[in-house]
Amino acid sequence: MTGNSEELRKARERRKRLKYLLIHIVVIAASAACIYPLLRIFSVSLRPGDKLFSTDLSIIPDGASFKAYASLLKDTMFLRWLWNSLLITLATSFIGVSLASTAAYAFSRFRFPGKKAGLILLLSSQMIPAGMLILPLFLMIMKLRLMNTYLGMIIAYSVSSLPFSIWILKGYYDTIPRSLEEAALVDGTSQVGAFWRIILPLSTPALSIAFLFNFTTAWNEYLVARVVLFSAKQYTWTLGLFELQGQYITQWGMFAAGSMLVTIPVLCVFLYSSKWLISGLTLGSVKG
Amino acid sequence: MDILRSIFEVSGFILLIAAGVAAMTGYLYSHFKYYDRAWYWPLAVVAYPLLALLGLKAAGLYSDGAFAWLLGASALIAVFFRYIVKGRNSLPYLLLAPAFVGLALLLVYPFVFEVYLSFHDLKLTTIMMWKNTGSIPFVWFRQYVNVFTTSPLSEVSFWALLGRTLLWTFSNVFFHVAGGFGLALLLNNSIRFKGAYRTLLVVPWAMPQVVAVLAMRGEFHATNGFVNIVLSKLAAAFPFLAHLGLGPVQWLSDYPLLTCTLINIWLGIPFMMVVILGGLQSISKSYYDAADIDGASYFQKLRYITLPLIKPVLMPAVTLGTVWTFNNINVIYLVTGQAGGTEQADILVSALYKAAFTYNRYSYSAAFAIVVFALLFFISVFYLHGFDAAKEER
Repeated sequence: MTGNSEELRKARERRKRLKYLLIHIVVIAASAACIYPLLRIFSVSLRPGDKLFSTDLSIIPDGASFKAYASLLKDTMFLRWLWNSLLITLATSFIGVSLASTAAYAFSRFRFPGKKAGLILLLSSQMIPAGMLILPLFLMIMKLRLMNTYLGMIIAYSVSSLPFSIWILKGYYDTIPRSLEEAALVDGTSQVGAFWRIILPLSTPALSIAFLFNFTTAWNEYLVARVVLFSAKQYTWTLGLFELQGQYITQWGMFAAGSMLVTIPVLCVFLYSSKWLISGLTLGSVKG
Repeated sequence: MDILRSIFEVSGFILLIAAGVAAMTGYLYSHFKYYDRAWYWPLAVVAYPLLALLGLKAAGLYSDGAFAWLLGASALIAVFFRYIVKGRNSLPYLLLAPAFVGLALLLVYPFVFEVYLSFHDLKLTTIMMWKNTGSIPFVWFRQYVNVFTTSPLSEVSFWALLGRTLLWTFSNVFFHVAGGFGLALLLNNSIRFKGAYRTLLVVPWAMPQVVAVLAMRGEFHATNGFVNIVLSKLAAAFPFLAHLGLGPVQWLSDYPLLTCTLINIWLGIPFMMVVILGGLQSISKSYYDAADIDGASYFQKLRYITLPLIKPVLMPAVTLGTVWTFNNINVIYLVTGQAGGTEQADILVSALYKAAFTYNRYSYSAAFAIVVFALLFFISVFYLHGFDAAKEER
């Protein structure tokens, strides 16, 4: 009797182990599929110039070198493109977060006529396809004579993440107890002072997430940049990389090197902030 | 030098915006605060329009009749603040004003402008006239008729694009949810290295989309892409597979839509996986314990516990995913948008983008955009309605 149940337990144990083995195999396969293209870019970026088009599948190719990186930085305007992207993106995120931080405070702490309508408007503005607004924005920028400039790009980008930022920040402000501000008000600050000295410093995590969201959205944008910028000197890195890959035959190694240089920091930032971003993404819709 | 100049340019612009916000706030503040003072009327109806007039002249934007408009508008605003607002709720409105103005100028106005465009005729031959004089021919509904009767690109029709878009959206969302759900279920076990797997699995989502799509596009290249290398190696190793027709495929030229779909499925699974995994982890284990005692099978537990409980997480994610996929220009444009690219993969939104910027048919594209927007609006109202009904049922 005891031997029998021992047998049964062992069989169950074995089944369980088999199950976990299978799970690991499937998940490892899926993970491989997810990162393999990235590894391939890495591998291409290391290839020596005469072997760019080999059908070799190994990750570290024979005669690996960083020559592609060197020529990318030396022979193309890659650093300039990165700089352009950085300037545009920083300005955009700064404007976006500043506007969002005060607006979200109004939505979080006050009751006023039109509040509900404003919130609904904010959510429904997310329904307007981004692709749809590119044309009128392009024409407006043309009319303002801001084509091919940083300012045109900043204008086009600055409000695109505003509704989402307001939504995240409002959610965060809602969690800060009102008693903190009330104490400050009793001590003689104005409401604006309480916002500036108490709410904003306490909201640094949410502000930085909103900033990161604005930053990554503008950093990775391609379609608006395509139509607003036309001289290689003003390109953002997305346009630059596309150009490099467009001239497929000659620049494949440089394209890969550039991709690696851009992807690594973005990956790190994303992995760091992903938890927050996801909760923000689903929060609004779950509550609504 | 260039670098310094660019820094000055951008920071100057930010200062300009800050000044604009400050001026606007001051303007509104005076209306809120001093609406009942004796000097309110002269300030609001005389001083402000004069200041605005000076500003316009300095910026070189002055045109005849502008002053009359300014006077009229200021008087209306003054009456509004004096008799209707009466200084109430000043703070929230002041806090909201900058964001509100930003959204009005860069979201609402472009939308209205697009409607305006769709009733006019702006194209390559009329754009210079519009740029210089600001006038374009008014054509009633002709652009809307054109949307349904002529092709936005060179051959494919609106209806074909619509069909393709629905197919694209449905197949993508289906595989996103199926793949994401499967992976989330696997990861929801207490396995080792779970955090590491989770990190690796979100890489396609975390990579900059431009890099991800261009890299994948490279993998579908006819001779140097990973997919074809593997296919030809398989065919060489197992001749009977080659007899069955297995071998390198001209992905980008023969099956562009399939290629785009495969790439987008790869891109979209991680988001669904993460959302669903979050939902799964919030389900209390006691439900499953109770079901175990009752002797429920794995699929019964899946059907009667897991699915109903992750529905509140899944439904918004699916809605969001549907809208995103429907509006996804990026993948299709990056794969097929280069010179000599095919239009066999275009969906509504990418055709709209190409009609505007490859073929320079601005007004046509605007009308097209309005039609697509109406369609999307209709679909999502329908969708949300179904969602609400499902909510009530519970």
